[in-house]
Amino acid sequence: MNIPFCTVPTCLLLITGLCYRVVADGLVNEEVKRTVDLSTHIAKITAEILLLNQGDSAVHSFILAVEPELAPNLAYVGASVKGDEEEDGILELKQTMIQGQSGEFYKVQLPSSLAVGAKLRVKVETVLSHILRPFPTHITQAERQLVVFQGNHYLYSPYPTRSQTTRVRLASKTVESYTKLGNPSKSDEAIEYGPFRDVAPFSEDALKVHYENNTPFLTISSITRIIEVSHWGNIAVEETIDMRHTGAFLKGPFSRYDYQRQSDSGISSVKSFKTILPASAQDVYYRDEIGNISTSHLQILEDSVEVEVRPRFPLFGGWKTHYIIGYNLPSYEYLYTLGDQYALKMRLVDHVYDDQVIDSLTVKLILPEGARNIHVETPYPIDRIPDQLHYTYLDTFGRPVLVASKNNLVEQHIQDVVVHYTFNKVLMLQEPLLVVGAFYILFFTVIIYVRLDFSITKDPAAEVRMKVSSITEQVLTLVNKRLGLYRHMDEVVNRYKQSRDTGALNSGRKILEADHRTLTNDISSLQARLKAEGSDLADKVGEVQKLDGQVKELVCRSWQEAERLVAGKVKKEAYIDNEKTLSSKRLELVTRIDSLLDTL
Amino acid sequence: MAEQHTATDGKHKASPNAGGSVHGNSRPNAVGGGGKGGLSGGLAQPAGWQSLLSFTILFLAWLAGFSSRLFAVIRFESIIHEFDPWFNYRSTHHLTTNGFYEFLNWFDERSWYPLGRIVGGTVYPGLMVTAGLIHYVLNLLHLTVHIRDVCVFLAPVFSGLTSISTFLLTRELWNQGAGLLAACFIAIVPGYISRSVAGSFDNEGIAIFALQFTYYLWVKSIKTGSVFWSIGCCLSYFYMVSAWGGYVFIINLIPLHVFVLLLMQRYSRRVYIAYSTFYIVGLVLSMQIPFVGFQPIRTSEHMAAAGVFALLQAYALLQYLKDRLTKQEFQTLFFLGVSLAAGVVFLTVIYLTYTDVCLLYSSSYAKIHIPIIASVSEHQPTTWVSFFFDLHILVCTFPAGLWFCIKNVNDERVFVALYAISAVYFAGVMVRLMLTLTPVVCMLSAIAFSSVFEHYLGDDMKRENPPVEDSSDEDDKRSSGNLYDKAGKVRKHVSEQEKAEEGLGPNIKSIVTMLMLMLLMMFAVHCTWVTSNAYSSPSVVLASYNNDGTRNILDDFREAYYWLRQNTDEHARVMSWWDYGYQIAGMANRTTLVDNNTWNNSHIALVGKAMSSNESAAYEIMRSLDVDYVLIIFGGVIGYSGDDINKFLWMVRIAEGEHPKDIRESDYFTPQGEFRVDKAGSPVLLNCLMYKMSYYRFGEMQLDFRTPPGFDRTRNAEIGNKDIKFKHLEEAFTSEHWLVRIYKVKKLENREPLEHKLRSIVPRQKYTSKKVQGSKRPNM
Repeated sequence: MNIPFCTVPTCLLLITGLCYRVVADGLVNEEVKRTVDLSTHIAKITAEILLLNQGDSAVHSFILAVEPELAPNLAYVGASVKGDEEEDGILELKQTMIQGQSGEFYKVQLPSSLAVGAKLRVKVETVLSHILRPFPTHITQAERQLVVFQGNHYLYSPYPTRSQTTRVRLASKTVESYTKLGNPSKSDEAIEYGPFRDVAPFSEDALKVHYENNTPFLTISSITRIIEVSHWGNIAVEETIDMRHTGAFLKGPFSRYDYQRQSDSGISSVKSFKTILPASAQDVYYRDEIGNISTSHLQILEDSVEVEVRPRFPLFGGWKTHYIIGYNLPSYEYLYTLGDQYALKMRLVDHVYDDQVIDSLTVKLILPEGARNIHVETPYPIDRIPDQLHYTYLDTFGRPVLVASKNNLVEQHIQDVVVHYTFNKVLMLQEPLLVVGAFYILFFTVIIYVRLDFSITKDPAAEVRMKVSSITEQVLTLVNKRLGLYRHMDEVVNRYKQSRDTGALNSGRKILEADHRTLTNDISSLQARLKAEGSDLADKVGEVQKLDGQVKELVCRSWQEAERLVAGKVKKEAYIDNEKTLSSKRLELVTRIDSLLDTL
Repeated sequence: MAEQHTATDGKHKASPNAGGSVHGNSRPNAVGGGGKGGLSGGLAQPAGWQSLLSFTILFLAWLAGFSSRLFAVIRFESIIHEFDPWFNYRSTHHLTTNGFYEFLNWFDERSWYPLGRIVGGTVYPGLMVTAGLIHYVLNLLHLTVHIRDVCVFLAPVFSGLTSISTFLLTRELWNQGAGLLAACFIAIVPGYISRSVAGSFDNEGIAIFALQFTYYLWVKSIKTGSVFWSIGCCLSYFYMVSAWGGYVFIINLIPLHVFVLLLMQRYSRRVYIAYSTFYIVGLVLSMQIPFVGFQPIRTSEHMAAAGVFALLQAYALLQYLKDRLTKQEFQTLFFLGVSLAAGVVFLTVIYLTYTDVCLLYSSSYAKIHIPIIASVSEHQPTTWVSFFFDLHILVCTFPAGLWFCIKNVNDERVFVALYAISAVYFAGVMVRLMLTLTPVVCMLSAIAFSSVFEHYLGDDMKRENPPVEDSSDEDDKRSSGNLYDKAGKVRKHVSEQEKAEEGLGPNIKSIVTMLMLMLLMMFAVHCTWVTSNAYSSPSVVLASYNNDGTRNILDDFREAYYWLRQNTDEHARVMSWWDYGYQIAGMANRTTLVDNNTWNNSHIALVGKAMSSNESAAYEIMRSLDVDYVLIIFGGVIGYSGDDINKFLWMVRIAEGEHPKDIRESDYFTPQGEFRVDKAGSPVLLNCLMYKMSYYRFGEMQLDFRTPPGFDRTRNAEIGNKDIKFKHLEEAFTSEHWLVRIYKVKKLENREPLEHKLRSIVPRQKYTSKKVQGSKRPNM
């Protein structure tokens, strides 16, 4: 069921060893029903064969053959035993050669040996890509697309065939011409050939159908599928797709007017197609080099996610486009683990559109950093390209990347690949630790930088200046606080004038005087320190102190005056006059202090 | 004061984002109650609350600025916007894929066909190098970020740096509170956002940061007179030169500042050191940029700097001599020097008049009279509306800030005043220079707001606090050791405030405060609204809204560009009007004839001539230019007003400028002097290539039942020429909504088909030999 690339001579040597004479098998195709499905842009040929063993001994295998003309286009060949129920037993295929005959041959291993005279019904499926040739090769926008198929009327087989029918299914009713071997009957979209009786082995007769086929002739000329596994619970899938319309080339202008107004204008062009993603796909994106392709739609169904992929422009014959589609999958659905053993089971290639044809596929499987003992099980042989390393967020020694490529794939190749590897779970801690370490270093550097002095020159003057400034600042605070105290005293006095409570006045005075004393002492100690630093500001502070003493005196006097007023020793008018002169003096002193402070 | 801290901090928590402006008054004081520790206490305190608060506010300003620039990314996608950014993106891409030297030596053969363009020598590489460097560093750390995302988010990230440098500059000019306010303003002000939304990957995005940072370092070096800061200023200036042509603003403003300082008798050794260092090192550094080259010593816009440099040297020399000489000697020397200087100036003026200044005048003349410059919408003069639109309340408050600065003038406030005045002038001349005005408006408004809040909020605090708790107001700069400058400090002492308090009741204060807060709130709302509505459209992707609010995305530009990229020959040459040149090069990756780097007027005129000629004349031009495809923008189907027919008159004018014999603007008007596309339009217009390409097959199209077929929605007219046939062109692609139409230029036929009917020659003459007849027949 596979098509290995037998380009290597050593491969040929191996195969020649397997050559043997087929006729000796004594197998006969008792009854063959062939269906050639040409309704899409690929040819799907299915043949139901009733095998009869007429030989002398039981056989364990039979040979499948593909015509030499069709072999280059062969994308897939598979055989299955037609079971009674729905499920068919899929058979194993191995490529082989037959001496003296051209074409490709596959040896099919039967599930059980076929006894002499016994019959077995097998189903053979062959898919051919790029076999439908547009003719004419260039059409205008208004024209319909006609294609030619050239195949074989008979089943190409190493065994003689007793009876055979061939049914050709077409895409439309319009048929330009078809070969008329054995007077075939033509119904709406099908041509029936046969039955042909007693066809010799390896017989060929050209079947040619020229008919209208407007199905999308899309081909993926290359696809790169990147699967990135993260053990933090996510599998990211990204497909980069180059796509072209391989039908008849568009000749002449493309008129948007006709395309919009006439429904059959550009009938063979491709407007959109559907891509089916796994049901758990999230965060789907569809973009290209210049940004998001805004024309797509996403539909979440029960068992899948359907993306209506609409290229930026309709694809006419010969036009191509390029895009990237990507999504995330939860890893629990695809990643299996047992201790340190992990197994990833994912589709090697996924659905892009129905009846897809992929000319060249590259798969890159990015495993987590630290994955070892990697072992890959592919459903069909595939070329391994040397492993690479991939670096992304917080990687240190790189993630192993498995790279594989294969040409000419169709829908039947959507099968699972299994990757086994071991991974030490402790390595999961590496990434958080890296982040923590980076922040630690950052904060530590800031701490070091702030705490330590890195200046290369020692500037004593600046240091002194800084010291002085800090001292003067404290002086300023204290002086202001002291000025505040005076206002507080005034308040106390005022309250006293109203309440006439000598006890409160005295207690307030005591507290305030104590505060004042401590403040004055603090300031004078600071003044001493200033002097010690050799700053001339000390004198100014001294002056401030001196002025403050005067203020204090004035305050005391206004205090006494108030006491006298309350005691009734002075007249009110006299008191007010007195108070006025006192306060004006005080204000003057305070402004002088302020101006002194300003120069500090 | 300790209580004030907690109070502001609490407020801060309540309104973390927009409320950054509230904290104009929260200039935390260096001195607290526990300042016993002397030196260590004086140092530890400012590094505590104050820096934590500033750090938080700046961080939030950065965050707010960053996130308010993300509208376009959230609504659309991470995409490069508009036109010029596409070129920047393309060259950054080239830089990251091919390396720095390849980029410097890049000859782009894909633009200005057949001339090409030396990209490395004709760009300011700062932007590309910055983005490339960030990308390189990130990839070095295995952060696999695509270069497109680096480019898209570069401007929003730099807006944070801008607000930090604005903070630093304002702090130097006024105080920390004003600095924080200014940082918050610049983070969200629309005048700056307009050039720095995510995706607008343009020089201005990083240049405003460089501008502000250079000014900060300049003020710093003027204040300290230290060579260290001057060198820092030069490096920042170098970055600015590498990033934007607007560096000319710096190299004129700084000399102006020095000059005015000299006039104001504010010369000091600091000014001398700062400017001499700046001029020499800055000059040498700026000449390292290939695009700038020797311009700083050649062109007239750099001459002011050189003149001031010379003047400063002379002044310094005089000052020096004044100390050394007697008064008599000095006077003689002075007169000698003055007469010598006058002679030199006279000669220079004469020399310049005949060389450079002529160029200066002619270039400014060109700016007015060459249509290609006038045709760009951002070169139009600014309207009053756009001042308010871009700056909102700041435009009203910044004169107040300016007044505060002039009232309490010192060296650096002279600078900011000059900055403000010149920026206002330039912003009035050209819309796009609004950008240089915005930072200074933010700073001065912040100063105004800060002073108001200081006055009104600060007093309230005091009133609530018992007087004993009162401590000395402000003095944040003491701790950093900058003691030389007293004028910068608005010191209010208890007594002064007592005086001020008399006139203001607590009600007035709270009303004023509330009003101010309301203004700031409205400003924040306005900024968000403008950003969201006016400045967050990628203009590559259009969106329309249905009645039910659902959105349709019109992606025609990218559709057509991508078609070009995928389905034309790799070396196909696409002719379009120059607006789309960068986009075609960036998105379609095809060769263009003209692009937004409008360095060659005659080439553009040739394209304009092709567009405005009739088909056969245009075909000859297109053949001579090897054109394969012609791309035009047509908005008639969806009513897109920025299409090529609406720009068409500029094409005609530019073409007329170079080819006055072939193209005349008056031919495209009706006799009444109207520009009409309907039947009454001038026949020349109705048959020119642009008209035919725009309306090809449009005459058959009926958009809805109320209008006749061929009704142009943009110009609300039924087109005049419905029967359009092409001889040398064919429609190659039209996008879904007809917005972009691409025509293919056919190759010459192998044999020219005859247009007229063949003449049937009846062989009358008997003497015609059969041989001759026979040879003629195949031709018939």
